Amino acid sequence: MNNIVIGQYVPRDSWLHRLDPRYKLLALVFMLASLFVIPIRTEWPYLVTLGSLTLINLLLIATSKVPIMKVISGFRPVMFLLTFTFIIQIFYYQVGPNAKLVVPEIPLHFTWASLGAMILILAFYLLTKKYIKFKFIYFLIMVFGLFAVQHYMPESWGLIANYKAELYDEALIRSGFLVLRILNVIILTSLLTLTTMTTDLNYGIESLLKPLKLIRFPVDTLAMMLSLTLRYIPTLLEETNKIMKAQASRGVDFKEGKLKDKIMQMVSLLVPVFIISFKRAEDLSNAMEARGYVIGAKRTKIDEYKTKTPDIISLIVTSLILVLIIVGRIIL
Amino acid sequence: MEIRFEKVNFQYSGLTDTTHALKGVDLKIEGTGEFIAVVGHTGSGKSTLVQLMNGLLVPNSGVVNVFGFRLPAKRNQKINELRQEVGLVFQFPEYQLFEETVLKDIMFGPKNFKKTKVNAEERALEAAKLVGLDDNILKSSPFRISGGQMRRAAIAGILAMDPKVLVLDEPTRGLDPQGRREMMDLFKEIHEKTNKTIILITHDMDLVSEYAKRVIVLSDGLITFDGTKEELFEKEDFKDYHLSEPQTIKILKYLEEEIGLKFKEKYTYDSLLEYIVEGEHE
Repeated sequence: MNNIVIGQYVPRDSWLHRLDPRYKLLALVFMLASLFVIPIRTEWPYLVTLGSLTLINLLLIATSKVPIMKVISGFRPVMFLLTFTFIIQIFYYQVGPNAKLVVPEIPLHFTWASLGAMILILAFYLLTKKYIKFKFIYFLIMVFGLFAVQHYMPESWGLIANYKAELYDEALIRSGFLVLRILNVIILTSLLTLTTMTTDLNYGIESLLKPLKLIRFPVDTLAMMLSLTLRYIPTLLEETNKIMKAQASRGVDFKEGKLKDKIMQMVSLLVPVFIISFKRAEDLSNAMEARGYVIGAKRTKIDEYKTKTPDIISLIVTSLILVLIIVGRIIL
Repeated sequence: MEIRFEKVNFQYSGLTDTTHALKGVDLKIEGTGEFIAVVGHTGSGKSTLVQLMNGLLVPNSGVVNVFGFRLPAKRNQKINELRQEVGLVFQFPEYQLFEETVLKDIMFGPKNFKKTKVNAEERALEAAKLVGLDDNILKSSPFRISGGQMRRAAIAGILAMDPKVLVLDEPTRGLDPQGRREMMDLFKEIHEKTNKTIILITHDMDLVSEYAKRVIVLSDGLITFDGTKEELFEKEDFKDYHLSEPQTIKILKYLEEEIGLKFKEKYTYDSLLEYIVEGEHE
């Protein structure tokens, strides 16, 4: 049970791993801001800027020594949403007068028959998707199928509406732009969690929030809460696992059951876990007090971070990128 | 009707390494009449062994056969029914309580196995009586009763399912000596009354010597000894198992050294006392 890793930190020895968490966080903020400052336009300067930012991000992945599959697996949760937006954007974006068709118009017939076929495809997809290994590819095939039935089924079968799928270059570029930007955001944020330990991350957040002390914001307490929460996630997971096994031994089948059973299953899991966590919290607060912890009192650190040259350089480079893009946006 | 392990391997896989918890274990346990103690050091695979018995874990290779039910199970076979046959009481079972009243909590198991409500209540009351919980406790919240009573309630929850085999993972952990004795006497009583097979995981050699009939010693995922407790404690190379001797044997050895009372293996305090009294009269 010692294998539970919070976050997805990949221990390697690279300059990204060694970077001071404070500067890493700041640099991340600058990079994210740069990505969002670039306007979505189809003229070449904008595309080149986004392209070079993407290139920089790819370089970051390469030099971080993190396996590329780890970064790619971060795309998985948003893949569905991305494809969806991409498809919507392609077809429904209002293009300017100069837009050119990429492929000839595809006539689509929305008929009662094709509607039925689409519902069948959806049902088939929902029923079979749990047996398919490459879910995403399967999903794409199914989406393609939805349009294919509209194209190939004859018009005469109960026509509701005729329409045309038009693929313009401008719409394609814009949707690609949008998707690429989101992928870049994911790359950057996963690189942060992949190369920074949670404790370091916590430290970084704490020191970046320090200015808030001026308005009496309890930064130390917040940081302590954050680190305790992170510390207790694996412990609680372990406890939950134990309770789950104990209830499974009493006949709870966590895999199936009707809604009513499902509620009971959750209750049988949640109540014990709540009680255990309250108990733990009480023990912990006593243990902390016994060792002299006072809320809001000044605390010292075992590890003091020292700013090194790479930290400064990364900060300067990222802020320069941001400034350049902002200036470019104002001038153009 | 029996539990059979055939060349069972089990490993826990982590991110970077895998731990071999069981390495090719062969084992046979009768469905009735056995009182088995499973002993071994922390991490020797005891808990893994018992979790394999009711399908909470599935062997990586080899076959576990529980009353004719094969594990790993076929795809659409329900493991759940197996869990009723092998009642598993975990360490600190009191944490699994969650219902409004103790009685409802005890009924939870039988209800899950599709027993009717009346039937479940009947069984719950029976189990509560067996573990010695009286009526006014049954009506109170499981979080307002003492620790010992909570543990009894949790054990009653398993007993109410009427399992063929009762598996206990360190049931006396965290109890005071008196509570420990009461708890163990309870299991002995259940064993004698119902002739159910009881499998007990423990570190306490006194419990082994006093209650168990058969002992299984696990070490590093291998069964290094399987036989009666007498065989184990009388073994020449007992020291090689790195287990401590039970108190009764320690006392008798001491007495032989100090007052020349002839050493004879006694496993319960009662028989030890009897033997000493006898020796005095001679």
